[in-house]
Amino acid sequence: MTMLKELVAELIGMFLGEKRLTVTILVLVAVTGVLVDFIGLDELVGGAVLLFGCPILLIESVCRAARRGAS
Amino acid sequence: MAWSTAAPAVSAAFLAALVEIVEAFTIVLAVATLRGWRPAVLGTIGGLAVLACIVLILGPLLGHIPLATLQLAIGILLLLFGMGWLRKASLRAAGIISLHDEDAIFAAEAAELSEQARRQQRNLQWVAGITALKAVLLEGLEVVFIVIAVGAGRGLLLPASLGALAACAAVLVVGAFVHRPLSRVPENTLKFGVGIMLSAFGVFWTGEGLGIAWPGQDWALLLFASLFLGAGVIGSTLARKLVVGFA
Repeated sequence: MTMLKELVAELIGMFLGEKRLTVTILVLVAVTGVLVDFIGLDELVGGAVLLFGCPILLIESVCRAARRGAS
Repeated sequence: MAWSTAAPAVSAAFLAALVEIVEAFTIVLAVATLRGWRPAVLGTIGGLAVLACIVLILGPLLGHIPLATLQLAIGILLLLFGMGWLRKASLRAAGIISLHDEDAIFAAEAAELSEQARRQQRNLQWVAGITALKAVLLEGLEVVFIVIAVGAGRGLLLPASLGALAACAAVLVVGAFVHRPLSRVPENTLKFGVGIMLSAFGVFWTGEGLGIAWPGQDWALLLFASLFLGAGVIGSTLARKLVVGFA
């Protein structure tokens, strides 16, 4: 039973390591989906939102962790 | 099958599996050093058997999921997993969090096994075997996910599996030769590289799942990877400057 709990925790930890980064990635994907599928924006514009949004979220997350670690 | 299609999936599976298998190998070696090879080998075989069952049960189910849904689901999971790795590797490169140390993990695992031996004299072989099984299972789960994630979207499960198996063979051969934790493997550099590749795959599959036809098709992965490489380097550099600024 303990091992099963550890397995589930490992699986959850694989994808939900840093809560804020997880939430912002999911919001970005949802926004891209809305832009492309519901608003009917050119798919490449939607793709650019996703493509450039992810690296920006990454940099913000790393810098936030650095500020937290340093303060 | 085009080289440009298979190569990213095979190399991502190989490198990711290399990182995970080195971690599992450290713990299995600690078990073997303290309690002998029998529980270590039996635990490893047990872990691999459970992993095989998971693959055999879940593998055929993938064929029943519509391709766009599969691409979207796997793409999102890859983004979460890959960007998580890249974030951690960037923070390690900046010195914010400590580097993964296989020697330290080996020592900690050996101490834990010795402590368990002091607490309970019976079933030591059993405890050692379970420790090896758990290590193989937990690290192996990540390998299975990565192989499925980079391979399932384009029918590349077999090449991706071969990439992971090659990593397994490489670690076993080197491990059998040096017979100590593989602490000289540049783990953070590998994690940085794998994080970049998985994040690039994540954007690619998520976009395709949402109906976006990327210009250049598979070659777009190179552009995506270079963007994530830039983001990782910029993030790490800025983080280092922030820490120095606070100090």
